[in-house]
Amino acid sequence: MSEAKPPLFLDGVLKDAIRNLPGTTSLLSRDPFAEVAVPDPFHERLEALLPPVARLRSSVAVRTSLEASGPLRAGNTALPRTKRPSPQRRRGVAVPRLSELEHAPPEELSDRLLGEAERRRITALTHLLEGGSPYDRYGFSPSVIRRIMPLFLALYRSYFRVRSSGHAHLPAEGPAILVANHGGLLPFDAAMTAVDVLLHTDPPRLLRCVVDRWAGALPWINILFARLGQVVGTRENFNDLLADEQIVMVFPEGIDGIRKPITQRYRLQSFRTGFIELALRQRAPIVPVAILGSDDQSPILFDLKSLARRLKLPTLPITPTFPLLGPLGLLPYPVRYRILYGEPLPFHERFGPEGAEDPRLVRTLANQVRRIVQGMLDRR
Amino acid sequence: MRHLLVTHADDPIGRRIVKQLYHDERIENLLAVGQGPAPRAFDSFLAEAPARFSYARADLAKHRPVSDLFHSTRFRDADIDTVIHVPKHGAPEHEPMPLVAGVPARTSEARLILQHSLEAKSVQNLIAVGSAFVYRLLPGNSNRLIENSELNLDPEADPELRSWVDCDMIFHAEVHGERLRTVLLRVPTVVAPGGYVYLNPILSGAAGPRLRPLVFDPMCAVISDKDVAKAVQAAVHADRSGVYNVAGCETLPLSILARWTQRPSIPIPTTVLRTLAAGASFLRAHHLRPVLAGPHLRYGFTLDTELAARDLGFRPSYRIGLARDGDGRARLEAYPA
Repeated sequence: MSEAKPPLFLDGVLKDAIRNLPGTTSLLSRDPFAEVAVPDPFHERLEALLPPVARLRSSVAVRTSLEASGPLRAGNTALPRTKRPSPQRRRGVAVPRLSELEHAPPEELSDRLLGEAERRRITALTHLLEGGSPYDRYGFSPSVIRRIMPLFLALYRSYFRVRSSGHAHLPAEGPAILVANHGGLLPFDAAMTAVDVLLHTDPPRLLRCVVDRWAGALPWINILFARLGQVVGTRENFNDLLADEQIVMVFPEGIDGIRKPITQRYRLQSFRTGFIELALRQRAPIVPVAILGSDDQSPILFDLKSLARRLKLPTLPITPTFPLLGPLGLLPYPVRYRILYGEPLPFHERFGPEGAEDPRLVRTLANQVRRIVQGMLDRR
Repeated sequence: MRHLLVTHADDPIGRRIVKQLYHDERIENLLAVGQGPAPRAFDSFLAEAPARFSYARADLAKHRPVSDLFHSTRFRDADIDTVIHVPKHGAPEHEPMPLVAGVPARTSEARLILQHSLEAKSVQNLIAVGSAFVYRLLPGNSNRLIENSELNLDPEADPELRSWVDCDMIFHAEVHGERLRTVLLRVPTVVAPGGYVYLNPILSGAAGPRLRPLVFDPMCAVISDKDVAKAVQAAVHADRSGVYNVAGCETLPLSILARWTQRPSIPIPTTVLRTLAAGASFLRAHHLRPVLAGPHLRYGFTLDTELAARDLGFRPSYRIGLARDGDGRARLEAYPA
């Protein structure tokens, strides 16, 4: 008769017992540290033979050459080493006032098309970048603004002949949310407001417009928007911009604003409420803005909603020129723009961050902002 | 005083972590494990007496070598209380991910390291380095991601990315456990002086041209390898469990990052890229998919690192820029603030 096998758990216990005996690891396992890793003797001899200077690592040589040549340029981008990097999230970026800025001589062709004042304002925006980095975390690049600004200024002054009032209501510092009506097929209302804010604030402020998510998937447009400082409207992005004490513009009507027909021009659609929540949480005042002219730049006769849905487009409008003239028909008419900034609404002072938890309050405040903007449009 | 085990210490990030921790006076014993021979950078550590650093070779994707490692005399004598798992990342470009028992080697390693860390009585802390590319990227340039952002659980995702997600979920599941203090660090593209790139699906591997979509130029969060080591060091000495985003100061467009790291990007129309990706799938060259298709080619992201700053006390201390070497060539350099 064969002997009965021991229980399986005994096998495990036995293995553990043998493993735990000092110096006995070879029977059941291989000790990876048994093969002692030692320094390479050849390398040691080589180190001893080399003169001390030759032992310097290449990175040290690079550092020396870097210091000797001063700030270096990479792709037309200076990387000064003296600036202290700020943490990933900054609070309150110090942009200098215009009087504190030095003379900005023209460097490129686009600079010559800009006046001294505009050049200084764009130069001031470079202070928004962290530690001299060429881009901010959303892809904003002052060098792109500098190149494209002559075109935007021509549109601002000659094509749309923008007039604006109420600049005193724009906060010189700290976070703020500009809430405006939306109109026109192409977002020239946002572009003209951004130019207006840049030209009429001291220190100059970059208006960060929150764009719809589908715009972030548009070829080329996504790159252009990012370089100009526009940000896709996710809650995290919005929250982060306000935490950075930036001035953010939203169009709470969303896509409904740009596809409303000519019969409803300057009639505000229903407002989304996310901006109220974030304004309360981040203690940011809301500045109502009325933009007159945007609804006239591309008057929509019909919107083929069902066809647009099938083609996965946000809107498919019929205007007097589109699709008659092809893509050229989307270009805006040379209407006159008027931008009115209303008095800031400091909801956060009255309701505090906890007010953001009350959906009824948030909806009520959103409706109140809507009524104020509608009133400004009606008084045009 | 801490007693540490660092995995994949022969890979670049693991090497950097060992260097950083070796000079930390609060660490008494340091064991390092890698697949290859001990890197030359460890020579001075190994030569020091009395020895507080040891290096061993082990295949962490297989059960027996990992079991041997955790039951070895040296491991027991060192009384290891913290395991730092650095997933394998230094593989040659386009090398297909080897499978162990049907799962990618990286996933198998993560399972085994967690299992043995839970079983080893002396181990109290587990620090794992993960990738921030596990997040689901939505249209936008760029997305600001927090630790609670949605992960990319798309079944169509390429195997490389899926293995990162699997590893992430393996460690994430243990974050709220009582047995181990588990810290998972999600890091974006890691760059090192000289233009080396790690953990980026497109740019990792040897220098050379890369393809990218013509009409997209996503923003890439980057971090220096030295900052990754500092983040791991901060996690070792912290007393919190959790998942943390860790990133550097810079965010660069893919085209600029590629140019800075000697990997010029060639813009290709999206339809051509899609055709190439379909061809690669047809030819079962699945390892080419990450460089030809995927949301990371179109949509960028940045990381919210407030939580790591608050809980771990980590702030990036290195900037990344271009410098010129002795031959006048521009190369990427990380320099202290």
